[in-house]
Amino acid sequence: MNEKVIDCLGEACPVPLVKAQNELKAMTTGDVLIVQIDHSCAMKNVPEWARKDGHNVEVEEVDDGEWEVIIEKVK
Amino acid sequence: MEATKAFFNKVRDNDIYKQWFKSPLTYVAGAVLLSLFQIITLAVTGNPWGVSGVFANWGAWVYEAFGGSVDKWYYFSSTGAQKTLEAGILNHAGTMRNLGIIVGALFATLMASQFKIKKIKSKKQIVAAVIGGLLMGYGARIAFGCNIGALYSGIASLSLSGWVFAFGMFFGAVVGSKLLVKFFM
Repeated sequence: MNEKVIDCLGEACPVPLVKAQNELKAMTTGDVLIVQIDHSCAMKNVPEWARKDGHNVEVEEVDDGEWEVIIEKVK
Repeated sequence: MEATKAFFNKVRDNDIYKQWFKSPLTYVAGAVLLSLFQIITLAVTGNPWGVSGVFANWGAWVYEAFGGSVDKWYYFSSTGAQKTLEAGILNHAGTMRNLGIIVGALFATLMASQFKIKKIKSKKQIVAAVIGGLLMGYGARIAFGCNIGALYSGIASLSLSGWVFAFGMFFGAVVGSKLLVKFFM
């Protein structure tokens, strides 16, 4: 089970979402993708997309205005 | 000091705090609130909500502060526009509203403990932001409105132009997103 971290701090929407989508496509089932974001709109739209696709998602607030979106690829 | 920390830790775990200040409101709640404030601003100022027109006036005032004059410019030639410019920035309702938006957004972020000054990631980002901003400003004045004045207020006023703007904006956003991903990601 691989874990990959992508740093999207400072990126404006929709870049975190697009980067997360591209990374997840290249990963295998069971892998975990951690997206570091500091944009509150990405905090909404990245989990929304990942959940809609059926993956397990957890959002952790690691600091003021910084989140880690933890996506487990399920299929 | 420890008592203060303990107090704020309790606030952070309080359900009401979490529901009203921490987690985002639903899309529906946002839509209802926006509509309410749109009605209030129309009733109070006599004009529908708009933000980009205000920037044009700010630009004119800055230009005039440096000794320039926009009196011969076609855009500012109407008597209404001239009156607004003469009255100055402190009497400008639109300015107060835009400043209110900035202060309100800051307040919301601070209340949610999510305030962060984001670093600039790369020179590419600066170039993309400047180009995008110039295009947005130019487009907003050519269209006599932005996503708020031309789209939101336009459609709310049952104006067909609002829908035309929506159509144009949608395809503009598609093209812009593809360019962003291709050249600036």
